Formats: sequence, structure tokens, C-alpha cells
Amino acid sequence: MSHRLRRLLAALGASAVLVAAGVAVSASGGTKPPPPPASATFRGIPEHNGVLGDPKAPLTLTEYVDLQCPICAEASKQTLPWLVKNYVRTGKAKLELRTLHFIGPDSERAARVVAGAELQGRLWPFVEAFYAAQGQENSGYVTDAFLRTVSKAAGVDADRALTAADGGFATRQIEQADADATRLGVNATPTFTVAKAGGQPRVIGSGVLSHAQLKAALR
Amino acid sequence: MTRRVSVAVALAGLGIAGYLTVAHYVGAAPVCAIAHGCATVQKSSYAVLAGVPVALLGLLGYAAILGSLARDGERARTLTAVLAFSGFGLSAWLSWIEVGELHAICIWCVGSALCMTALAGLSAARLA
Repeated sequence: MSHRLRRLLAALGASAVLVAAGVAVSASGGTKPPPPPASATFRGIPEHNGVLGDPKAPLTLTEYVDLQCPICAEASKQTLPWLVKNYVRTGKAKLELRTLHFIGPDSERAARVVAGAELQGRLWPFVEAFYAAQGQENSGYVTDAFLRTVSKAAGVDADRALTAADGGFATRQIEQADADATRLGVNATPTFTVAKAGGQPRVIGSGVLSHAQLKAALR
Repeated sequence: MTRRVSVAVALAGLGIAGYLTVAHYVGAAPVCAIAHGCATVQKSSYAVLAGVPVALLGLLGYAAILGSLARDGERARTLTAVLAFSGFGLSAWLSWIEVGELHAICIWCVGSALCMTALAGLSAARLA
């Protein structure tokens, strides 16, 4: 064997060891701690049929999400508390959610249980708790055990929510969300839309919107 | 000539990894040509290896490759090859994760993977 070939093989061998170690560490991943109890963001605000706030509020804000989407979780932390404080609590707007499921099977399971939480008037706390525990996309983390943990943190009766997830209401909710998204051309999450009383919804934008963007859109 | 091309490619990789490292620590989503793919990859559990951001590891890797390219001796060439082969292997693994697990493509990561592939080929040629 030539000297050069030996060096090449030695380099390959050393690299293989380093790569194997890196892959082993990377593949081992990590588990997230259970979500914290529901925050005060939605406390005391009425929720009817998944609509947060005064049903007679002049503006209707709708957020299109996929619960597996990490940017949706980010928007939930950065945008929603501000929106709720300044527009929902003040009666200027009510907040609706459309749960899409384009990322994968975990998204659909999550969306179905969101419908179960909606039936208990706890949709928004459930979604907040879900984001706090959000795992790696399509890793199969949305198990019944995971959903029970999230339900507990959100004050949702897990048995009822999981049963409802398999029912017709949950199917109708996700079909409605898909239909609304298609009609408005929503192809990214999170997307926010706004509608004035009696008016048609229009898309404000997608992603983590700045407060200035939202203020301008909600004038 | 091969060494000069390697330096150019490593500098390109250093720029990409530097940008992703800054994006990681600032908490911003990298500008991405494919909707939310970069943010998805960046926020996944695979973006950190043993507590160290993968982008920072890439930055250090490219810096080490550039350092090894400063000399042209036999040991320096072998060191470049070890670093480039390792970078290539890890890039291949992470690319597979993007496509197979996350279903999201980060165009910056693809750019870095291409740089590592080129560096692996170039360093193999320098050893041969």
C-alpha cells in the first residue's frame, strides 16, 4: 500500500470516528420538560366556540396555525399576549383560530384535540400549553401521553378532549380551517387575517408580525 | 491551485456558518428562499449538538480548515482532509435529517453542505 493511500485511509478512519460520535449525539436528541401551567394571558377572558373575547367586538382577528410550526409558537409568545392585552381585553377585537395540518400526521392529531379543547372552552390555553411543550416536527411526539400532559397544563379534561378528537366535530373544524385557508390563499403559518364587522377577512401577513404591523392593520 | 480553491471554498463556508451563528444567537430566522424551512431547521433539536449550536461548530470547523490550509506539508494536508471529511459526513447526516425528519430545507445549510463536499473532494485530491 502506498504512503499516500495510507494517509488517505487514516484521514477517512479518523473522520468516520468523529462523524459517528457526532451523529450519535445528534440522534439522541433530548426531551423537553413538561409545559408550565397556563399563563395569565387568557385568564378571565370569555371563550365561546373557540372565539376569544367579546363576540360583539367590531374586529375579528383570525390566526391560521399548524401546532407543529415553531414560528407559530414564537408568534404565540411574542404577538398574542400583546394582541390580547390591547385588542381583546379592551373589546376592540375578538380572536379566532384556524388549525391547519400541513406539516404532518402529528399536526392533524394536535388539530383534532384542539377541537376537543374548544368544546370545553379552553382552546386558547390548550394551544399555549401545546406550544410550550412543542417537540421536533413529525417526530411522532404528539402521543396521547403528550396530549394528556398538555391538557393538564391547560386545564382541559384530557379524556373528553381525546374522545372528541375522533368525532365529527373535530373533522368539521379541520375541514373548515382548510377551506378558509384555501379561500384566502393562506399558504404559510402563522398567518393573521382581520375582518371588520360584516366585512370580508383580509390577510394581514404571515410570521411573527411586529406590533407596528398589527397596529397599522387594525386601525 | 487546489489549495487556493480550497481556501476560497472554506471562506465561503465560513461566511455561511458565520451568518447562521449570528442568526442563532440573535434569535432571528435566517432569510430563506423556501417558506419557513430555515427557521424550522434552526429551531429543531438537531440545531444544537451537545449544547453547542451546529452553526457555531460549522464556523469553528471552517476556521480550522482555513488554519490547516495555511501550510502545505503532509501533516497539514492530512489534517485538512480529516476536518473536511468529518464536515462532509456531518453535513450529509444533517441534510438527511432535513429531508427525512424535518421535511424542511434550509438553503444556507445546503450551501454549507456543498462547501464541505467540495472541500472533502479537494482535500482527497491533495492527499492522493
